[in-house]
Amino acid sequence: MSASPSTTAPPAATGAGAPPAGGSRGAAKRRTPPSRRGERLVGYTFMTPWIIGSLVFTVGPMLWSLYLSFTDYHLLLGGEFIGLENYAAMFDDPMFGRAVKVTLLYVLLAVPLKLIASLAVAMLLTQSRRGIGFYRAAFYMPSLIAMSVGIAIVWKALFAGGGPQDQFMSWFGWDGGGFIGNPSVSILMLVLLSVWTFGAPMVIFMAGLLQVPSELHEAAEVDGAGKWHRFVHITIPMLSPVIFFNVLMETVHAFQLFGPAFIIGGTAGGPAWSTLFYTVRIYALAFVDLRMGYASAWAWVLVLAVGVVTLVMFRAAKNLVYYAGEDNR
Amino acid sequence: MMRNPHGLRRRSLLTGASAAAVLAAAAACGEDGPAGTADDPIEISFEWWGDQTRADITKEAVALFEQKNVGIKVKMNFADFPTYWEGMTGRMASQDLPDVFQMDYSRLRQFGTSGLLLPLEGVVKTDDFREGFLETAKLDGTLIAVPAAGNTLGLIYRADWFEAHGVAAPAPGYSWDAYKADIATVTAGLGGGKWGGGDWAGQYHFMELWLRQQGGSFYTEDGKAIAFDQAKLAEWWQTTADLYAAGDVPPVETTIEWVEGGLVQDLLASEIGWDNFMPGFSPTVEANGGTLALTAPPSLDPNNLGLYLKPSMQFVIAAATEQAEASAKLVDFLLGDPEAIKILGTSRGIPATNTGLENVELDAASQAVIDYEASVAQYLTTPPPAPPAATGAIEVKFGELYQQVQYGEMTPDEAAALFFTEAETLLANEQ
Repeated sequence: MSASPSTTAPPAATGAGAPPAGGSRGAAKRRTPPSRRGERLVGYTFMTPWIIGSLVFTVGPMLWSLYLSFTDYHLLLGGEFIGLENYAAMFDDPMFGRAVKVTLLYVLLAVPLKLIASLAVAMLLTQSRRGIGFYRAAFYMPSLIAMSVGIAIVWKALFAGGGPQDQFMSWFGWDGGGFIGNPSVSILMLVLLSVWTFGAPMVIFMAGLLQVPSELHEAAEVDGAGKWHRFVHITIPMLSPVIFFNVLMETVHAFQLFGPAFIIGGTAGGPAWSTLFYTVRIYALAFVDLRMGYASAWAWVLVLAVGVVTLVMFRAAKNLVYYAGEDNR
Repeated sequence: MMRNPHGLRRRSLLTGASAAAVLAAAAACGEDGPAGTADDPIEISFEWWGDQTRADITKEAVALFEQKNVGIKVKMNFADFPTYWEGMTGRMASQDLPDVFQMDYSRLRQFGTSGLLLPLEGVVKTDDFREGFLETAKLDGTLIAVPAAGNTLGLIYRADWFEAHGVAAPAPGYSWDAYKADIATVTAGLGGGKWGGGDWAGQYHFMELWLRQQGGSFYTEDGKAIAFDQAKLAEWWQTTADLYAAGDVPPVETTIEWVEGGLVQDLLASEIGWDNFMPGFSPTVEANGGTLALTAPPSLDPNNLGLYLKPSMQFVIAAATEQAEASAKLVDFLLGDPEAIKILGTSRGIPATNTGLENVELDAASQAVIDYEASVAQYLTTPPPAPPAATGAIEVKFGELYQQVQYGEMTPDEAAALFFTEAETLLANEQ
């Protein structure tokens, strides 16, 4: 910002991190350019809307829900403190196992498929060709609209009985009807929706790919390494921090999938609970059954589970991820 | 110059601007409510559940209301039944209910005991209701709703298809077994993706009917427990098992995708349902070249059909409304204005007021509903007390679990066991 040192500031305040000079904030002093402290104050002042927003709309409700998870809070009748009973009850709840199963199945299917698809497309789109900008935009597009209600409704229509998917697959001898009415495959609708929206990881992969030094590839080529070998031994290791980042982000997101699942399967996770995602069950407990305390306990178990998964990933990453320039780690 | 010489001034400008904004907001708060004139109208909100047809006529009637009551503007919204209640539940918690909204008997206790509904004695007109109707709008002696219309269960069927396939017209006292045999006959006759009847076992109201036919009830008198056991529920869920296995009723994979329902989509020949649905189905069925008829639902006992006259829906006013007077005007208008009644017809059921009954215009289908209700008048028995607050959630669970049975994911016994676990938790949760 300012190239010249402030001429009016007292000498004591020039050192980095030194406490700003105190003093009265008289009318005369107001004219002086803002001290460090003043600048900080102005900074915080401009941040207040966001600070208030996050306190009121994120931190506050989270703490409140943590408290609620130890109560038998009913959405209308209120509730009392019951200690860990809600958490204990989850172990006996047959719906808990089902919701966990559906969610894990989705995470295990959607995350790898989406990342493979986005890496493949990213590799195609990092080539220099005419009109590459158009293709990049076109492949990114779905992720802009995917989480909208409109797309979920279109998706539902695509997979209805007699809809495009049913007709297409019937040519190949499929007789399972639309995915919408078939509990054994209905989760695939959501997996496909997720794969289709690979824009965000794709862009990150592209950035990563463009940073892989071309000398490495050239050297390997001279040594006679084929395309596959170069991919496995150069691209993948050089890309591993980016891969790690994408796996982490996508996994965390996948655990929290709600909107499309809610629109496609409803609060009951239809058909036959096959899309009863953990988050959908939380919603149903809170707003159909009105058991807000118990629903909060479910929500906090999800927070813990995602936290543990993230931690495990970071541990695993220590051995799996290669950071160039940090060879002695 | 790298430093902005106007920095300070800009800042004071911003301060000034925000101060002005705060003042303006404060001024807006300080204002009195709207005057209720054409330029400064009172605004009230009104919401209901139902289909597009009901929405069209309701909007028409409300437009007439606004015309007759210059100075009141009505903001309207509607949704289908499950969506409507999902939304209301959330809004109930945040005290954000519409001024006037449509209420279902099964949810009355939930809203009523939470103090969310305005006591209506002396607020709305109560002198014109048909006999017995007002009782079902009271909760522990306090009037908190007004019945918009009444209905009862019936069997709606395609008279043309029944006749074409040699099935005699069903009459009150018709047995469940006879109905099953007729469904099988009609399904066989129709062939090709059309069915003689629908699977009725997933509906909590139909089980209640079946229990009443055996002298039982769904809930105990105090509303604190389920009044039957697991074996009974498993038995009920198996009443359609053979029809389902034989393909005489449509499979769940098919019905899950139906939007308007089997009768309207020309795919079903009969359905147990609320009698006031018939006038809604009738025009489409006639356009498809069919004829609908209405009779009593099947029974286990020809002398006890298990029927009772239920308020099909009620209107309530939120306790938090700031416009109780205007809200009451709207309710009175919808139930008592002859012109409004003409517009609204029987979409919500047979009108609950005498004025309504005198002025309603009846097409053949609506007339059939009135005739049907008269024909079963001798069988109507005392309605059960307003069901427990958890009924809404229990009803949802009931349907979900039966779907598990239909998909073969659970046996009727397993599903029944889980239903009791869930229902008991829900009932305990309300106490």
